[in-house]
Amino acid sequence: MRNGRRFTTLLAFCAFLFAGVVLYAGNSQPTGFKVGGIQVATIQSDPISVPAEFHVALYENLVRQLEKQGFEHVYRDGDRNSADVPNLVILHSTVRQFKPGSEKARQVTTVAGATSIRVHCQFTDRDGHTLLEQDVTGKVRFFGGNLRATYDFAKKASLIASKKFLATDGK
Amino acid sequence: MIMKSKSLLRTVPLLFAAVASSDIRAQQSCQSVKAVQIIGLPAVKENAKGTLAVENRNLRFVHGKGISDISTSSIQDIVTGTDSQKAVGKTLGTISMAAPYGGGRFLSLFRKKIDTLTVEYRDADGAFHGVIFRTPSGKADAIKQELIAQGAHTTLTSEQAETAKPSTGSSPKEQAQ
Repeated sequence: MRNGRRFTTLLAFCAFLFAGVVLYAGNSQPTGFKVGGIQVATIQSDPISVPAEFHVALYENLVRQLEKQGFEHVYRDGDRNSADVPNLVILHSTVRQFKPGSEKARQVTTVAGATSIRVHCQFTDRDGHTLLEQDVTGKVRFFGGNLRATYDFAKKASLIASKKFLATDGK
Repeated sequence: MIMKSKSLLRTVPLLFAAVASSDIRAQQSCQSVKAVQIIGLPAVKENAKGTLAVENRNLRFVHGKGISDISTSSIQDIVTGTDSQKAVGKTLGTISMAAPYGGGRFLSLFRKKIDTLTVEYRDADGAFHGVIFRTPSGKADAIKQELIAQGAHTTLTSEQAETAKPSTGSSPKEQAQ
């Protein structure tokens, strides 16, 4: 009787663990279809005020890092060439949190003045169905200018995109 | 009286010619400014040094390996900002970090003012691009005005930009770089 109850508890625990693993893996596992290209929509930041140079640096770094990760076709916002691309993935980015920091404070104190930016990344198909969404942060703590936080973000976001959408191509 | 009217007749066309020629010169080109392209121009390395000028309805960046042009009619927005960077240069700045008693950190306190010029534009395919330039202090606004005069669009005029304070609470300085 006792053993039976233990066995049931163990079974329930295993099922719970398995479900957790499946759910976690499902978020990062590659999609089933072959991606024809990825389009980067312009960065949104409402209602947070982000300087224009951060907007541009986020966008340009994102495009460059996606190309570096191996996406053959990276389309910019409004690019007419993306109109007929099958299985196009569109990346929408919205700034959720922004801390400007200070390069001077970093250089003088080392510990203070970190710049950080948190961006909500949503990958959708052409019809607007969400394929993946995740918050990604970019930081610069010690060395480099404030804009380096945008490079850090772009590197992380492009890595997530490549894991999700390029793994099916055997890359 | 006759002499006066004669001299007046001579000076008026001269004045008119001077005004007209300055207008034409302003349309053709403005003084080139030393600049660093931080990011954005296609086929140009990050932090490439060169000169920036507004010539024949183009924003022209001349760098070591060539010339990059952005048509003023394709420009959607121009934003200028102020910033600062270490007065002591790159290599010396890095070496100075090893200086004893925090000498390197002390040197970091000495900074020079710089301007940033952010340009957003669309290419022939309608694709969005953005470029960031770093220029000496006080030069970016002149380029912005020149670009606007030659047909570039902007969402914020300099007066509006001055009144629009960032909500982060920090000064516009130190926001970039």
